[in-house]
Amino acid sequence: MTIATSPSVVVVDYGLANIQSVVNALECFTPNIRIAEAGNDLAGAGRIVLPGVGHFDEGMRGLRSRGHVTALETEVLEVGVPLLGICLGLHFLFEGSDEGTEPGLGWITGRIKRIGDGGRVKVPHIGWSEVTCPRPSRLFAELKAPIEFYFVHSFCAPNSGEAADFASATCTYGTDFVAALERGNIFATQFHPEKSQLAGMKLLETFLSV
Amino acid sequence: MPKHRLIATLLIDCGNVVQTRLFKRTNMVGSAFTAVDFFNGWTVDEIIALEISSGMEWLPRMQEIVSELSRRCFVPLSVGGKITNVDMAARYLRMGADKVVVNTAASDRPQLMTEITDQFGRQCLVVSIDGRADPTMASGYRVVVDNARRDTDRDLVAWAQEAAERGAGELMINSTTHDGNKQGYDLGLIRKVSAAVSVPVIAMGGVGQLSDFIDGIDIGGADAVAAGNIFHYFEHSTKKAKEAMAAAGLPVRTIGFYKVNMPRRPKYRPF
Repeated sequence: MTIATSPSVVVVDYGLANIQSVVNALECFTPNIRIAEAGNDLAGAGRIVLPGVGHFDEGMRGLRSRGHVTALETEVLEVGVPLLGICLGLHFLFEGSDEGTEPGLGWITGRIKRIGDGGRVKVPHIGWSEVTCPRPSRLFAELKAPIEFYFVHSFCAPNSGEAADFASATCTYGTDFVAALERGNIFATQFHPEKSQLAGMKLLETFLSV
Repeated sequence: MPKHRLIATLLIDCGNVVQTRLFKRTNMVGSAFTAVDFFNGWTVDEIIALEISSGMEWLPRMQEIVSELSRRCFVPLSVGGKITNVDMAARYLRMGADKVVVNTAASDRPQLMTEITDQFGRQCLVVSIDGRADPTMASGYRVVVDNARRDTDRDLVAWAQEAAERGAGELMINSTTHDGNKQGYDLGLIRKVSAAVSVPVIAMGGVGQLSDFIDGIDIGGADAVAAGNIFHYFEHSTKKAKEAMAAAGLPVRTIGFYKVNMPRRPKYRPF
């Protein structure tokens, strides 16, 4: 794998996420990393990473006010740049979230719901959980069961509808939810590959070379 | 359900990792970066770095250390020590910490916990509680703060419940009479707290052999087990602990190995 010749990676900054961990992990692979504080910084990206810890509404408002929404639509949907959404970055792909009232990007139909089963499991879901892959995918091609990743979240994409159609990994916590999805050049994970040691680094390496 | 976590605690005094016994520093181990590099390779699930020097003059250095640690620590990193306000918490988080650990300042001013969770969410806050057996308290344990130097009037279990209500995402429980004594966790204390709160409990203090980790979960009811001293000075320490836990039938993260080409991964450089 020749990461050295890999295209530039742009990390989307929308003002609230702690993006340092993601940048730290990506820096192990390539020096060619830019942080996009506004939408026009996205032009020319070879890969786009949309990280996220925080509130859905604040995140969407940040994306919109900085011009990231139109830039993402151009780069990801029209140009076809591979995108990796992480955690909240997965939530943004949907039409909306029960965490707030703002509309999402709406690239995948369905809504983000609160995780759990009405109180029997602790929320947030924090820790290392095992995921299963319902179908072969590019992102998980190099990983072997048991595949475990670090999760920290209170909301999730239920494993149903279009989310389930594009799920490359699912996980169970109270109920089944989508741990990762893949649709063309759009990739997203609910877990944090940048905090998931070698399995996570393998996944990032794979993303940089798709 | 999430797996039981094995956590390595790094006690950092004047910029170096040290070992402690009964909350007193005993000897210096060395560089925090070397320790993290090894633990990372030995499948630890999480790292907690605590600044324990007696003055304030080492705090800027601690921030540099956190920033460097986060560049080589690809598991969750929690940072604590003398965090008295939300600005200090924010600074550590900006340096790349994933969670902050508060102890004395939370007991002195409980509002601090709410201030941190309002801004960063409860997954960001670990409340560390130290205590010792005291038959005059309702639960049988008294909260002690300031590196075990100052007694409070708080009952330990009641305080654990209050911390969880005020937004602690996790509680880390240590005993001032077990710390560094190699006799295992204070299982009575861990069990009482685990039974009383619904947030994850991290057991800390006193691990002398690998079976103590298993007891912390099986008997103490802890969600995660942490230790400091035992992990230094023997090869594959955290990996062996995970293997012992798995052999006892506990669900733990497996030791998956992948060859990942990371040409730019930071290498140890003394400075």
